[in-house]
Amino acid sequence: MAELHIIGQIVGATGFPQNSLFCKWGVHTGGAWRLLSGLKEGQTQVDVPQTGDTAYWSHPIDLHYATKGLQGWPKLHLQVWHQDSFGRCELYGYGYCHVPSSPGHHRINCGTWRPLGSWQERLAQTFVGGGPQLRSPDLIYSGADRYRLHTEAMGTVELELGIVMRHLDKYGVES
Amino acid sequence: MASSNQNPNRSDIREKLRKKRRALQDTLGGNKREDDSQALVPSTKLSERKQRAAMKEPQSSEEDPGEMLKRSVRAQRQKKGLHGRSSAQDDDDDDVEEISTIQHRGEDEGSAEKAADPVVLSRPPTGSLSGVSSRITQTPDSHLDSLVTRRLEERLRAARSKGESLQQQEASLEPASRLQSLRDRDTVTRFDREVGPDRAGRHEEPLALSSRAKFRGAARRTEKDVPTAEEAYNFFTLDFEPDPRDGTEKKSKKRDKPRRTAEEDREEEEAEEDIQDEYEDQNEEAPLVRDEEDNLFVIEQSTQDFLEVKKAEYVGYRQLVQQDSELLFTPSFRTAPTSIKLPENMKPRYLEDEGLYVGERPPVSPINENILENRILKMEEGKKWFGDDGRIVALPDPIKESSTRPPLFHMEEDLDPALQPVYRKALKSKNANLYIAGAADPEGDYQLDVDVSGLIFSHHPLFSREHVLGARLAQLYDQYLTRQGNNLTGHLTDKLNGLRSALRNILEIHGGESLTQAMQQRISEYSLEVRNTRQLRDSEQEKDRTLLKNIVKVWKEMKALRNFQKFTNTPYKLYLRRENVDRASDEREHEDEILTEVMELEAEMEEVYQRELAEYRKQLQEWKLWRRKQKAKKKKRKKKKKGQAQDDTEEDEDEEQEASESEGPAEEDPLKPEPPEKPELDSVEQRVREKASRIRRQPGESILIPDLSASGNITATELCPRSETARREDVSRRSLFIKILYNNKEVSRTDGRCLNADFRAHFGQIFYLKILNCPQSINLQVFEEVGSSCSLLAQVFLPVPEPSVVTGIVPIEEYEFSSNQRVMFDHEGVGSDVPISFEADGGNKQTLLTSGKLSCCVCWGSGEDGVPLAPPASQHPGGVHSGLGRLDAVTFIGASGLYDMKKIGEWATQSRLDPNDPKNASIMQLLKVASSGEVTAPDYFRLEQLQEEFNFATDEEVDRSKRFRLLRLRNQGVAEFQSYKFVPALEREVTDKVFQEYEKRLKEGEIVDTTEHLDPHRALVAKHLQRIRESAMNRSVLAKHHFVLCDLVKEEEIPSIGFLGMNLFKLAQPKRPLKPQKKERKKVAAQNLSDGDIKLLVNIVRAFYIPVRRPQTNKPGQSQSATQGSGWLISQVQVRPFVEVSFQRTVLQTTTADGPNPCWNEELQLPFSAPNGNYSAAALQSVKDEVFINIFDEVVYETGSNDRDRGTSTHTRVEKHWLGSVKIPFSAVYSQSRIDGTFKVNTPAVLLGYSKDRSHGADGGYDTLRSMSEGAFVTLFITIEPQLVPGKSVREKFDSQEDERLLQASERFEREAARGHPDRRCITTVIDLNGKTVFVTRYIRPLNPPQELLDAFLDNSQDAAALVARFVSLVPSLPDRVSFSGACGLWSTCDQFLTLLAGDEEEHAVLLCNYFLSMGKKAWLIIGTAIPEGPTAYVLTLEQNCYLIWNPSSGQYYGQHDTFCPLQVVGCLVNADNVWFNVQKYTSPMSMSFDTTKARLWKPFFSRSFSHPGLSSVQPEELVYRRTDKAAAAELRDRIEKILKEKIMEWRPRHPTRWNRYCTTTLKQFLPKLEQSGGRDVAEGQRHELQSMLGDNRISGFPLHLPFSEVRPIVEAVYSTGVHNVHAANVEFALAVYVHPYPNNVLSVWVYLASLVRS
Repeated sequence: MAELHIIGQIVGATGFPQNSLFCKWGVHTGGAWRLLSGLKEGQTQVDVPQTGDTAYWSHPIDLHYATKGLQGWPKLHLQVWHQDSFGRCELYGYGYCHVPSSPGHHRINCGTWRPLGSWQERLAQTFVGGGPQLRSPDLIYSGADRYRLHTEAMGTVELELGIVMRHLDKYGVES
Repeated sequence: MASSNQNPNRSDIREKLRKKRRALQDTLGGNKREDDSQALVPSTKLSERKQRAAMKEPQSSEEDPGEMLKRSVRAQRQKKGLHGRSSAQDDDDDDVEEISTIQHRGEDEGSAEKAADPVVLSRPPTGSLSGVSSRITQTPDSHLDSLVTRRLEERLRAARSKGESLQQQEASLEPASRLQSLRDRDTVTRFDREVGPDRAGRHEEPLALSSRAKFRGAARRTEKDVPTAEEAYNFFTLDFEPDPRDGTEKKSKKRDKPRRTAEEDREEEEAEEDIQDEYEDQNEEAPLVRDEEDNLFVIEQSTQDFLEVKKAEYVGYRQLVQQDSELLFTPSFRTAPTSIKLPENMKPRYLEDEGLYVGERPPVSPINENILENRILKMEEGKKWFGDDGRIVALPDPIKESSTRPPLFHMEEDLDPALQPVYRKALKSKNANLYIAGAADPEGDYQLDVDVSGLIFSHHPLFSREHVLGARLAQLYDQYLTRQGNNLTGHLTDKLNGLRSALRNILEIHGGESLTQAMQQRISEYSLEVRNTRQLRDSEQEKDRTLLKNIVKVWKEMKALRNFQKFTNTPYKLYLRRENVDRASDEREHEDEILTEVMELEAEMEEVYQRELAEYRKQLQEWKLWRRKQKAKKKKRKKKKKGQAQDDTEEDEDEEQEASESEGPAEEDPLKPEPPEKPELDSVEQRVREKASRIRRQPGESILIPDLSASGNITATELCPRSETARREDVSRRSLFIKILYNNKEVSRTDGRCLNADFRAHFGQIFYLKILNCPQSINLQVFEEVGSSCSLLAQVFLPVPEPSVVTGIVPIEEYEFSSNQRVMFDHEGVGSDVPISFEADGGNKQTLLTSGKLSCCVCWGSGEDGVPLAPPASQHPGGVHSGLGRLDAVTFIGASGLYDMKKIGEWATQSRLDPNDPKNASIMQLLKVASSGEVTAPDYFRLEQLQEEFNFATDEEVDRSKRFRLLRLRNQGVAEFQSYKFVPALEREVTDKVFQEYEKRLKEGEIVDTTEHLDPHRALVAKHLQRIRESAMNRSVLAKHHFVLCDLVKEEEIPSIGFLGMNLFKLAQPKRPLKPQKKERKKVAAQNLSDGDIKLLVNIVRAFYIPVRRPQTNKPGQSQSATQGSGWLISQVQVRPFVEVSFQRTVLQTTTADGPNPCWNEELQLPFSAPNGNYSAAALQSVKDEVFINIFDEVVYETGSNDRDRGTSTHTRVEKHWLGSVKIPFSAVYSQSRIDGTFKVNTPAVLLGYSKDRSHGADGGYDTLRSMSEGAFVTLFITIEPQLVPGKSVREKFDSQEDERLLQASERFEREAARGHPDRRCITTVIDLNGKTVFVTRYIRPLNPPQELLDAFLDNSQDAAALVARFVSLVPSLPDRVSFSGACGLWSTCDQFLTLLAGDEEEHAVLLCNYFLSMGKKAWLIIGTAIPEGPTAYVLTLEQNCYLIWNPSSGQYYGQHDTFCPLQVVGCLVNADNVWFNVQKYTSPMSMSFDTTKARLWKPFFSRSFSHPGLSSVQPEELVYRRTDKAAAAELRDRIEKILKEKIMEWRPRHPTRWNRYCTTTLKQFLPKLEQSGGRDVAEGQRHELQSMLGDNRISGFPLHLPFSEVRPIVEAVYSTGVHNVHAANVEFALAVYVHPYPNNVLSVWVYLASLVRS
């Protein structure tokens, strides 16, 4: 009955073609994990930075898990979306990272990617926005044979996570 | 010569060399004199050098060389003197010459070498030569060296003794040369060039030129060589030590290097010589320069001496190449021989030849390889790079021939569909998306294809009789065809035959031998199977037969009909084909069949008989046994009876019981079992034959095959009789269309199609429905259009397809429909739901309903890529705010086809599937495969493998953890734990107590707690309300999550220019402190609040008509008028009222004012704390606390002051007497953000000791002034600081059964109303308790009030009305806003209201309005705003040309022009027929007209353009009342009394509480009278009575009146009066409670409280 606190924030994103971004996030865990409190998914606000490339969200993440096993260690998956000047939203990137398994403060940079469409789609994307999306966003963290997917690299999402563990050492998990 | 060297022209080189050689020869041979001088100098130099070189050796001949040097120097000087007039110059010249000689010699030697080069390459050419020369000069050196050293030593000493200046002088000059030589290094070329002519000049030309050069050189020296004292010093001091010499030598070597490189290749010896020369130079120079310091004249210098014109320097290409080639190494590209590459004496070894595997080397071009090899060979240890085979070591070529990565063809169809990205347009996310199915992907568009292909009527009202028959015929024929297709009969016959033969085989093989158990079982199974199959076959055969018969019969009927009516309507024609059969064989078969059947039947019967016989025997045996027992018992009993005649009766009884028990079954089984009858085998055959003749073709009879065709002719319309023509015209007038309703909303409709004569319609239309909502129902409505009117014929509900059902794979299906509409025609059409008969006598009537088949199909559309546009199968209806969707694990893996093989197998064996049946082929195949073990489907599916093994803890452990549970419950927002701020960190710190309450609540979900409610019915109601509340909460949860921007972002408004300008303007304005400006308060969102932040501000302004004290008179008989008339009342203090405000047990009070119309104008601040510290809007809304504003009279009594202090001090006691109260619920304050107005003080009916002296005799009728005159009023202003944002009520879309048109109209009406008059409330639709939208007029319907209320005042309708209003007001009030957290007002119907016995103002008003209507009054519901309730509903009645406004929750009524009417804004009026919206200028009832007929003033909802559709009422027709339960009321009374008494004692913990019984009993008698009088002041007499009884007791008290819901409010009200606060020592209390029961358990509670102080 070890416990794990994940406390931190999604600081922001940088390196995307446009900078008015928002982010949908979620934490995926295995069956052994039980959420005691906190929200395990959410969405940030849209940040429209006046200057600079980085969109800052400073979106809080505060989760408290109890677990009966190590399998299915929490992973964080992200979707970065862009809201354009017409208020339309389009996908800018999928990203995924493991929640650090050592206690303490961590800065994580999560790289993102997005599917690349056919040239027609890309053309359409250039002019009218939108873009290809995954049918099931679970693919972000589930490992089907993704090598077939054509993707392009997008920016990085910066996270700051503080990990607090409790009683994991009782079960022989050294951190 | 040097210049000649520089000549780029290469061809000249030869010539030059030749010249050089000549010149060399000249110098060597011809020019003797020069040779001399030269020979001398070099020799000395050499010697010196030699000496230096020999310094390391023992200095044996040290002196000699020194002297030699000296001498030589002198000699040289002499020589120079000989040279003539410019010795100093010569000196310089010499210097120059020395350098030049160096050069020269170098050149010479170089050239010599060059010249010799072609001849001998390997031999060092000049080494030997110079060596020879040096050897020659060696001999005199030994003494010369010593001489030099001595000399130098001397000099050194001298130098040291000399001052610094001299040293410096020396030094400055001495190293100058050396330095100069160093510096000149880079300008060698110049010297080269210069020296060339110089030298030439020396030999051939006049000296003029050289002199110039000398000047220049001297000048340069003076210029340059000043600061190098140290170096000079070093030179002289360190010169003789070996180390620095080495250093210098090295230095010189280094210095040499550039030169060497610049010149041709030269051997080392030469370089050495060079160095020698250098040293000679220096050594020679040094003294020269020093000595000839004075001679150095540099007077006649001109610019020409310093300047020099030079050619542009140019390094020729060839030279460049040469230089490059020296610097660079260019490896050859020729193959390096193997021998070089290998270590010596090694033969190349080829591993490949030895049979070892050698990988293929990466391809490198041979030239590149050669170059590489050559380069490596030059390197140190270059050979280690070569392998045994003499080639460069290389790894095998890593590049694979074929690509190892799977090719990435862009094959869309090949890609896993989960991996295929979808192109989604950038779309604005709609808010609606929150509520729809695909929350995960907001742009998920789902498409439902509805294909409506056609329609066939199997019956239609316009069918003629012939049509009816035709339809029947067609139907039967269809049936026949399907049966034929299935061929069940044939199939079963085959099966039967197969089974029979199998059975026969078994019996034959084992021919009567003893059969094994298994065999026997098989046989019995077979025979059972045979029997079943036979029965099945027989029934099928029978069906076939009857079908055929029916077809023929119908056809005959049809023919008859056609003949009869003499025209044809339908094109049907039936042909019967006969197939003749061979009679003999047929008969034989028939006979065989019968015989087998008979045999089988006989066998079966025999078997049955045997079984029965066995059964019978068994039973018989049992029976006999029982008989025997019975007899034995009887005997026993007799014996017993005899034995113990009067023994224990109990035992006897026991015995008897036993007997009766044993007799019980005896009664059941007294019969002797009957032996079974022997079956009559002879009749079997007859029966079989009968059956065969009935169901089977007779042997020899030809087989009839019907064939229906629609090829017949239809009689033309002209030839038909009139009725038929009319029918046909009717048919042609009609057309059909189909509406498609999705989720009960019409989404599309087909084109109209004419009804054909054959009653078919073909639509062939496909509708693509883009859907957003979850599909709940798909409904096709068939409409028939006649002219312009259309009527609904039938509805077909289509099932919502599975997500896998996609367009293209689904066949069109036929859905039957029918309708029970009754249609009759006066023409040939048979109508619908009308009995018709086909027989002449009109018998055998049939009733046909319109029916038919609609062929259509519904499926999910498929996208361009064939992906179904269907929503995911599992949907969470609650809009989970999910950023990322979830996926079902099983479907993700793609195991959608996982079937439970075992179950299929079990089912197959159970149902005895016929393996021969082609229909079962696929299942049998599957089973065969499954059972053979090729496919093993595990009976479980594991998601997380190895999870169990690696768990640290089990689920149970996690579940058991109290801490986790607490955390989770807190997170879920369970009410008990919601505000639990700190959860302990340790498990043991979480006590079980924490959960007790919660668990209790969970457990007691159903159990009713009666202690709080005193009344089981109320408790039930409370539970029910709780449940409704929960469901309503759940309903609104979704909407609550829907934030808008201003909920989250608080944005200060940026002042605009206009605003700033205004501010500036304001600065100039004169200050008016007495006219304060209004300032908007900031609104604070609830989430950032905490305890103590919120304050309730209560501003008590003033009060009117407060009751005044009655003068204490002991004589009750004294007339009131006398006291009034006397006038001293005015002079005396009438009353000293103050106001006490209590809220959440905080009590604050104002100062005391004087008189019945006091003015306080005081502000009181009361802290507010929300329950559980939860300041969310929902929690604040559900705060049930009330603000009590109590008015007290402060009475000061002089107590009997003791004698000691008399005169100096008086003791007074202050008592406060309650005069009345106003109570305002917090929720009202919260929702309206402020409450401002004058309120009627709720004064008790009787105030002992006080008089409401303004009694204008209110005698008859509804005096408008009466209500005004009654009671006191208080002006208040209440608000919350800081201003809170009240939670908005969410207007959610609810289901409705109302007509769509009505709903739209009501929405429009409300919208327009809100636009025109936003402050006026307009309600057209409300939500009932089931959460459905209902039109408001449906609530209004005359309903009977309880009869006993009407009976009370039969003659006086006004009083009756007042009583009814009172009854309504006695139903407890429960604001919706409190109960449903602002979700929305729910309206219950009157019967629900009376059952729940709780409701808000609207429900009270509806009930009252309905009562008034049934009493024959004209009544309306007023929807408006009142104080303090806020939005509310009142009732308006019209009485004798004046309007009365009734407050339904207090039972009060007000005239239209009553200034104190709490109703402030009238929004709309509602009655059963219509809703009128107030469009007048004013909203106050005083200044408006209630004449609803004036459309200018009242805008009606239903008007001429939109008439009232005749809405039925939702109210019941009649209300049924339960009788009053007097006993329960009495019980309740006692309980309340007991509780109150306990409470009062509890509130006075430090004082004894005495109860005056006498007073209590008196008060008890008053209370029923009060109830009867309706609370009006009839108690003047009572007061006197009381006064007389109690004598000199000072009594103050009052009756409280409350509707009864719970005990808590009563206790609260009693507490707020503060009666218990009388602390006089001799106080006594009196408390009387009376509960008056009204019908339906409505209870009126009176509490009479009094305190008595003995004066």
